[in-house]
Amino acid sequence: MAEYDLTPRIAPNLDRHLVFPLLEFLQERQLYNDNHILKAKIDLLNNTNMVDYAMDIHKTLYQTEDVPQDMIERRADVVARLKSLEDAAAPLVAFLQNASAVQELKADKHYNLQLLNDKYQIGPAQIEALYQYGKFQFECGNYSGAADYLYQYRALCTNSERSLSALWGKLAAEVLMQNWDIALEELNRLKEMIDSKNFSSPMNQVHSRIWLMHWSLFIFFNHDNGRTLIIDLFNQDKYLNAIQTGAPHLLRYLATAFIVNKRKRPQFKDFLKVIQQEQHSFKDPITEFLACVYVNYDFDGAQKKMRECEEVILNDPFIGKRVEESNFSTVPLRDEFIENARLFIFETYCRIHERIDMGVLAEKLNLNYEEAERWIVNLIRGSKLDAKIDSQTGTVIMEHNHPNVYEQLIEHTKALNSRTYKLVTQILEHAQAPAAH
Amino acid sequence: MASRFWTQGNSDSDDDEPTDIDEPSSDTEPVDEPTNNTANRYIAGIHPDDSDDDDGQKRVVKSAKDKRFDEMASTVDQIKNAIKINDWVSLQETFDKINKQLDKVMRVIESQKIPNLYIKALVMLEDFLAQASSNKDAKKKMSPTNAKAFNSMKQKLKKNNKQYEDLIIKFRETPQSEEEKFEDDEDSDQYGSDDDEIIEPDQLKKPEPVSDSETSELGNDRPGDDDDAPWDQKLRKKDRLLEKMFMKKPSEITWDTVNNKFKEILEARGRKGTGRFEQVEQFTFLTKVAKTPAQKLQILFSVVSAQFDVNPGLSGHMPINVWKKCVQNMLVILDILVQHPNIKVDDSVELDENESKKGDDYDGPIHVWGNLVAFLEKIDAEFFKSLQCIDPHTREYVERLRDEPLFVVLAQNVQEYLESIGDFKASSKVALKRVELIYYKPHEVYEATRKLAELTVDGDNGEEVSEESKGFVDTRIIAPFVVTPELVARKPTFPENSRTLMDVLVSLIYKYGDERTKARAMLCDIYHHALLDEFAVARDLLLMSHLQENVHHMDISTQILFNRAMSQLGLCAFRVGLVSEAHGCLSELYSGGRVKELLAQGVSQNRYHEKTPEQERLERRRQMPYHMHINLELLESVHLTSAMLLEVPNMAANVHDAKRKIISKNFRRLLEVSEKQTFTGPPETVRDHVMAATRVLINGDFQKAFDIIASLEVWKFVKNRDTVLEMLKDKIKEEALRTYLFTFSSSYDSLSVDQLTNFFDLSLPRAHSIVSRMMINEELHASWDQPTGCIIFRNVELSRVQALAFQLTEKLSILAESNERASEARLGGGGLDLPPRRRDGQDYAAAAAGGGGGTSSGGRWQDLSYSQTRQGSGRAGYGGRALSFNQAGGSGGYSRGRGMGGGGYQNSSRTQGGSALRGPHGDVSTRMVSLRGVRA
Repeated sequence: MAEYDLTPRIAPNLDRHLVFPLLEFLQERQLYNDNHILKAKIDLLNNTNMVDYAMDIHKTLYQTEDVPQDMIERRADVVARLKSLEDAAAPLVAFLQNASAVQELKADKHYNLQLLNDKYQIGPAQIEALYQYGKFQFECGNYSGAADYLYQYRALCTNSERSLSALWGKLAAEVLMQNWDIALEELNRLKEMIDSKNFSSPMNQVHSRIWLMHWSLFIFFNHDNGRTLIIDLFNQDKYLNAIQTGAPHLLRYLATAFIVNKRKRPQFKDFLKVIQQEQHSFKDPITEFLACVYVNYDFDGAQKKMRECEEVILNDPFIGKRVEESNFSTVPLRDEFIENARLFIFETYCRIHERIDMGVLAEKLNLNYEEAERWIVNLIRGSKLDAKIDSQTGTVIMEHNHPNVYEQLIEHTKALNSRTYKLVTQILEHAQAPAAH
Repeated sequence: MASRFWTQGNSDSDDDEPTDIDEPSSDTEPVDEPTNNTANRYIAGIHPDDSDDDDGQKRVVKSAKDKRFDEMASTVDQIKNAIKINDWVSLQETFDKINKQLDKVMRVIESQKIPNLYIKALVMLEDFLAQASSNKDAKKKMSPTNAKAFNSMKQKLKKNNKQYEDLIIKFRETPQSEEEKFEDDEDSDQYGSDDDEIIEPDQLKKPEPVSDSETSELGNDRPGDDDDAPWDQKLRKKDRLLEKMFMKKPSEITWDTVNNKFKEILEARGRKGTGRFEQVEQFTFLTKVAKTPAQKLQILFSVVSAQFDVNPGLSGHMPINVWKKCVQNMLVILDILVQHPNIKVDDSVELDENESKKGDDYDGPIHVWGNLVAFLEKIDAEFFKSLQCIDPHTREYVERLRDEPLFVVLAQNVQEYLESIGDFKASSKVALKRVELIYYKPHEVYEATRKLAELTVDGDNGEEVSEESKGFVDTRIIAPFVVTPELVARKPTFPENSRTLMDVLVSLIYKYGDERTKARAMLCDIYHHALLDEFAVARDLLLMSHLQENVHHMDISTQILFNRAMSQLGLCAFRVGLVSEAHGCLSELYSGGRVKELLAQGVSQNRYHEKTPEQERLERRRQMPYHMHINLELLESVHLTSAMLLEVPNMAANVHDAKRKIISKNFRRLLEVSEKQTFTGPPETVRDHVMAATRVLINGDFQKAFDIIASLEVWKFVKNRDTVLEMLKDKIKEEALRTYLFTFSSSYDSLSVDQLTNFFDLSLPRAHSIVSRMMINEELHASWDQPTGCIIFRNVELSRVQALAFQLTEKLSILAESNERASEARLGGGGLDLPPRRRDGQDYAAAAAGGGGGTSSGGRWQDLSYSQTRQGSGRAGYGGRALSFNQAGGSGGYSRGRGMGGGGYQNSSRTQGGSALRGPHGDVSTRMVSLRGVRA
């Protein structure tokens, strides 16, 4: 199943630290050789300051107690730098920890800067040090500290470029601490900045968007409301464009969100077209499933794909998230996905059929006969399906009610009334407005 | 030589008389130039008997002869006057007059000999004509009547002069004119005509047969003599130059002497009386004696420009051997530049003339005037022109094509040099030239070029050198002062794959090129991707670059390139089985019926618009050389076949209201025409084939339809023909099934799917899928009965009143729609919170715009003509219409803010499209947008 693993495509768009959860997941799923993953982890850590962690991994990987010399040197180095940065930022940190002093700050940035400068002798150098310190903390894996410092820094910083990177840092820290609500706030803030900022080249903007979308995957698949939000974000024209140009693999997540989320039907049709277009650049069972159901009407194929989808979901670090309940571990998204996918197939199937054999239907839905019958009865009872079961022949008979001609006509003209009314009010308002002036 | 004139004089007793009488009209006795060793034969021949009875005869003979000659002389005067004021109308008249007079004179003197006076007039006219036709500006300024007269005069004179060709030449050899300045003109033009003869080998051939037949009485050795004489003269001149040069010993030649001589020759450039070939050779000689590398370089640049001068007109091309030498010179220039990195080539600053004095040992930067890129572009243009001119079906054309590696190597070297000095802007231009040589080559051709380049360039080079040394045996007496080793590669290097080469060049251009270069490179890139069947990539590039919107503002040659890229994209889409995309790409090309013109592959005749010669010439200059052509027949078959596949089921679906939803107007028209025919013969053209196939397809006979289409010869030009035909067969089956269901669904109550699969030879899942799609899209009112595998039809027949009521509601909503839009336009947008219906309305509007005017759908295809000041009132509306069309739907349609891709084409504003209206994606037929137009 490694062929559908997206980690290699996602990782380049993430922060080093954010890749860890993915690697952890892969290790758990045992898709790859354990040693490979450990090596990858060390590679990853080499450019961070989490030297202790790297040492631990090294030990497990090579089954030794020895640690290479350069790691030890590096550790000393990191500690020394941490020390110096801490010293540099100390005055500001001290100030910020003093609750009563912080009270003096107001919403006005310039006033604050002035105040700090006059009263506490804290100038731009210290503020800059705070940023560096926060960054260093992040690199050492102290995410909560980093998040705090970067938050404070943003309140004081005047350089928009720096402020943006502080925001990225804050977001990453919050994601790693799994504070999904705060992370979502940061995400929205960042999104606004990216959309409003003037980038030197459109290219950068597209890249930023792609990054943002990758990072947001952590949040959306953990946040309660994430499945709706992901559609809202990804399906925006600008972001969809970015996906199509730079990261078509994100379509998997969007497709999943669409399948799981029943309320977003209007956008769904457009999304199907996107999937068709991007067939040449990205294809996986989930998108193929959609193509089978909605483009080719190949229900046997859809059913096959559905089984593959299950595998894909289980092996995906984002959508395959496990929830531990007492002794069980379930994958909530998988169950939901399967249920909805089944409904998708059934819905489409019913639309074009008048009579369906239950046995065939059960097979198509990946259920046994009894289950299928129960499932359908439930649907009929929930008045989601206008049909009856003929148990003698073992068929479901659809009851198509086609609106008769008169109803159709009324339907067509219904809206006209309100539209015209609206139009008239609009014109009247406009006519009155100049008169009032 | 003299004896011939003697005999001539004697045999024709009357000969002396006309010339005699001619004399009074000439003011002064012509004085022989001392250098002219071919004696003036007329004078030599005439004087003996002339000297004694000159006076007497003149007084005595006041005969008709005299009168006629006087008349003629006065006409000649009139001609002269007309020439002075550039009045072609009166020239034409007088020319007719003099021809009539000639008849009379001939009758009177009863001889075969054409009077000298007449010949002189002819020569005068010819010279003036040559002068006028080379002077473009003046020609433009002429009034229409004058220009017309000029053109007809040109024709007449050409025809007329043919009869007297040898006499004219003879006359030119021994100019017997009265005015000094006249002689000058003649001299220069003599060289001019020499050049012409070299340029057009067939022109050289032409005079011989004529003169052979006519000069029987003048002696058979004449023709050879005619051709030799000017050359003799020329050689003599060269000798003189060399003599001048060699008067000094090599050691005495200093920088100054060379520089002075150089300037002297340079000043003569463009003047009358300067032989163009001669100048080239003078310069070439100077390069041998140049003292410093910089000077050599300077002179070499002049050599190259002088070589460009060799061909004066815009229409002809540079002689091929000169072109080759030119390329060699450029290579030498590069050699020098590479050898002396301190020499900079520059064309922006006025330079100190002593700059080139700085010698080998000088360390600082030396500036030399010149523009490598401009030269290279000119060489390329000449290569292109020569291919345009040469008949593509001859061996000559193939030979000429073999010279391509020569240019490729030059371009490659220039590019490398420019990159080494860090001038990336210029190097991107050169890269474009290279791209333009590759982009149209499919893989096989590219391979062949690569092999050819590896094999022949060496041979060619050697040949070249030997030829050169042959030509300059006498100049090679002293070794050149500045020896330049061959530093730059003389062999082009090609990577294995054309794609890699394209990628390298194109990404360079995207990085450094200017707007136009980038656009052209992008189009070439698209073309090449399409050629390699990478439809998705090509399509993405096209849409990302927003070229479709901007191409209207570009120059015509870029527009042609755009059209070429679009047609290639269409072919590519067809090959990979995307029929509606193929149709989308090609339909606009075919909507105007001017495919040839749009692709610059020939001039299409238009009944309603006579083209002026000027327009025609411009168009001819734009033509693509034959080897770059896109097969028009193939293009047409692809277009019509895809139109058929789309239109046949569409027609079947909308039998009742034929006016709506026309996918291909062109196709419909052709179908109508073919239906009108009383008898239809077996198909001959592509069109006939497709129409025949359509007729059987309408009845659902897919096999026959496929057979007819497959019998087209052109499919053999399609890469992997078998898979394409297989695809085609599949598509035809599918559309046949659809058509069948549309047409006959009302006759069935239920229909077994097995029967359908039998009818149309389709697999069960495929048939099921097709029918299901029709049901979902509500094209077919039916549903499946799964246990029995039947389609159950639910036909609801609308009564007439009901149908009309539906139409009424439809119209009402359109009305409401347009009201809303009108008020929105007046009150400013955003005020109305319109229901989602609005989008559909927009689709409708776009569809109406597309369908309503077949003309307006031509908007995407750049209409070459409206930059040509056409006056047809229909045309004027055309452009405007197309524009408004763009505004209506275009903003939504394309503004996909994509734009990254591998090193993307980034100048487009990618941030747009955020609030863009959803484009008319429902409307597949009319625009390319729909390729990706899902999202605005």
